[in-house]
Amino acid sequence: MQVGIGFSAQSDYIKAAKEAADKARYGISGNKADLALLFNTSKFNHPLVLKTVSELLGDIPLLGLNTPAVISNQGTTNNGIIILLFSFPEEIYFNTTCVQEVSMKGALAAGEKLGEDLLYGCKGVRRNLSIIFSDGNIPNGQNIGLGLQKRVGQSFPMVGASTYNQGARKEKACVYFGNTALDNAACGILFGGRLNFGLGIKHGWQPLGKPRKVTLSSGNIIKEIDGKAAVSLYQEYFAKEANALKKELKRISTFYPLGIDIAGKKEYLLRSLSSIQDDGSLVFNGEIPQDSKVKLMVSSKEACLESTRQAAELAKKALGNQKAKLVLIFNSWARATLLGRQENSEIEIIKDVFEKETPLAGIYTSAEQAPISSTNYLGRPYFHNNSIVILAIAN
Amino acid sequence: MFDTNTLIILISTAIIIILSAMLLTKMQNNKQLQNEVGELKQSLESIDEQAKIIVRTDMELNRIQEELDRKISGLYALQKLSHTISTTMDESLIFKKLSPEYLIELGFEKTFISLWDNKKNEFILKFSLGYTQEESDLISAHINANKERCLSLIATDKTLSSLSALNNFINKNTLYNIFKASYFVFSPILLPQQNSRGLLFAGTEKTETVITEGDEELVKILATQLGQALENARLFEKTWSAQQELEKKVAERTQELSAALEEVKKASQRKTDFVSSVSHELRTPLTSIKGYAAILLTGKLGDLPPQAKERLEKINRHSDELGHIVNDLLDISRIESGKMTMNLGKHNLKDIVNKVDDLLSGQLKEKKINFSLSIDPDASSVLVDPEQIGRVFINLIGNAMKFTPAGGKISVYGRKLEDKMVQVDISDTGCGIPLEDQEAIFEEFFRVENAINQEVKGTGLGLALVKRIIKAHQGKIWVKSMVGSGSTFSFTIQQG
Repeated sequence: MQVGIGFSAQSDYIKAAKEAADKARYGISGNKADLALLFNTSKFNHPLVLKTVSELLGDIPLLGLNTPAVISNQGTTNNGIIILLFSFPEEIYFNTTCVQEVSMKGALAAGEKLGEDLLYGCKGVRRNLSIIFSDGNIPNGQNIGLGLQKRVGQSFPMVGASTYNQGARKEKACVYFGNTALDNAACGILFGGRLNFGLGIKHGWQPLGKPRKVTLSSGNIIKEIDGKAAVSLYQEYFAKEANALKKELKRISTFYPLGIDIAGKKEYLLRSLSSIQDDGSLVFNGEIPQDSKVKLMVSSKEACLESTRQAAELAKKALGNQKAKLVLIFNSWARATLLGRQENSEIEIIKDVFEKETPLAGIYTSAEQAPISSTNYLGRPYFHNNSIVILAIAN
Repeated sequence: MFDTNTLIILISTAIIIILSAMLLTKMQNNKQLQNEVGELKQSLESIDEQAKIIVRTDMELNRIQEELDRKISGLYALQKLSHTISTTMDESLIFKKLSPEYLIELGFEKTFISLWDNKKNEFILKFSLGYTQEESDLISAHINANKERCLSLIATDKTLSSLSALNNFINKNTLYNIFKASYFVFSPILLPQQNSRGLLFAGTEKTETVITEGDEELVKILATQLGQALENARLFEKTWSAQQELEKKVAERTQELSAALEEVKKASQRKTDFVSSVSHELRTPLTSIKGYAAILLTGKLGDLPPQAKERLEKINRHSDELGHIVNDLLDISRIESGKMTMNLGKHNLKDIVNKVDDLLSGQLKEKKINFSLSIDPDASSVLVDPEQIGRVFINLIGNAMKFTPAGGKISVYGRKLEDKMVQVDISDTGCGIPLEDQEAIFEEFFRVENAINQEVKGTGLGLALVKRIIKAHQGKIWVKSMVGSGSTFSFTIQQG
């Protein structure tokens, strides 16, 4: 397998697209590209960019998404474009597809459709990894992954990234499939054959205070905790009225998610607060089942960076003796906010764990999908918040 | 001993006692467990209370950290912006170089800059970020509709923000309707030396952004930097234009002067050619006149009456004088035209002066003038044409003799200068030369108006010839003199 990675931050976005494509093509040494991934920041979220990239790369499957910032070996930048080109050997198979109008179909059904379409090209092949990119605004987005695994099976991991709407006007981020930018959609890749990869997922948040029980919830909305209006939990902890909490929503959402206690698992599954409703219900960025035991979670820059190191080491360890040809990073935007000016420290840590020259490419997300424990692939994929997913691909 | 019933009663009683004791123990254990559970619950509540304190403190720390990060980023962006705008001297480039990236990093995704145009009597839009062209035009129209109010705000030199009380100036809602930003800073741009001004609006719609006094300061600094950069650019432009104008005038004048100099050179050449040709034309008949006069005076053609002889002698004398004038004029024109070459060689200065002294010693004695000659040893060898330098000495010593009264003193002193030159000073105790004539005496036919010159005849060509000979030797000549205190003529020649 050969991987070509092209990054550009030129102010002229057409020139930037050309520069990134040229660099990526150079990276695969003139071999035929089989698959392309496109990650770009909001400045480059322009139809002409996608058109230029599609025209330059020709008729190959292209998937990607728009992100608040891109991650490359140079660090994190909120102004740039990354193009990844893959040239696979014969023993690696893959199929790509896309499902649109997810909200209307329902996330679970859309996920199943996605799985069915992906399987179409990979029947009879040993499947070993699926990657999905989805619109972060889709309600119950976690069900896309569940639906997908219903069809493609649960014996191998699935990783996914949901777009993050950024900016004062919450400019809508989108996913790319072919030469089309889509919202309310999800696209995915299913790999089969001999693809060697390692996966690490961590968040670095720790529980604080006494456990609470979700006594009434529906999907991603918690109505009651310990028999009281759900908002009272945050009111008690922050000593603020609901309206005051609403004003601090971004900070609370980033720094103080709820942690769901998963039976038999050491780590808590995080849910970041999305909004506070007038009736005192809390809307989270992912499902919280009724009767779950939850705790308020807290982190620090050091703990966050340590979790990055752990995730990178897990991914590297899983590769065995093989050297990573590419490290893909799906990183929660909340982590970038927590780290502030130290956001590049995460990248330095990843570079430190892998070899310095190992190509890195990454995006910032509103939610991440991956197994809860990277070393245990059994069971369903989980929908994470505030986490970092590191996928190291060898061959 | 005991019947069966009694035994049963005893055993039952014992069992009851044992059971009661066990129950009591169980109850005590239960109570203890309940107490422990209660204590644990209390501990948990206590831990939860501590957690609340930790969370609140953590939240505050995060807020401070965020604010600090924002300020550092803002300062960094401001430093970049300041550097960018201060390194350009072109007013139009200043606004082009205002990087949107840095302005956004400063915390404002909307920026609007207008400058007051004294001629048009209105604010002119110079820069806008985060607005469409239509929105910018609309904002400009609003500003100009309230220009008096804006000018009065600028005159106060106060920075306003969504933090400040704005009501004296404008209603917050009105401002929001114009600029479409809930949080903003409004700062005047002043160019005091240019008597110009403008305004800078920086705003954001980010609800989580809290405008602080620090933000006001940052925007104020940016506005001040902009004002200074604009002022520098305008001053530079002004200075540049003035310099260009001056250079243009200098070039024009230089061209005029060059043309004039060329004319002068041509005229001078024509004069030299004319003098040369006339002198040549004069010499031939003059030689004939002098020759015929000489023949007549010898009496070979018969005796002449005394009156005729006297007239012939006058003719002869005047012919000589005319001959001298013609020769001097010819020499001057030859030197000027470069036709006369100097036969430079190493010669002893003293020898040259002594030869002249020999020629003039009779007259010196006659006027009882004390003549002294002093040449420093290191100035004795000079690179000259001895014949021409001899003429210089003849003219200068001759002049000194002419204007020095009987019993006076003439001295010649030669010394070496630093730049391989020798300076010769010829001093006399004569009547001196008025200051206003000291330059003109080196011009052809100029004669100082004094009693001696009225009595003694002269051509006014001697010093002009001397000047040209010295110039042809790469030297200089000048005079220092005071009326009644004598004169010193100095010239320089190359050391041999």
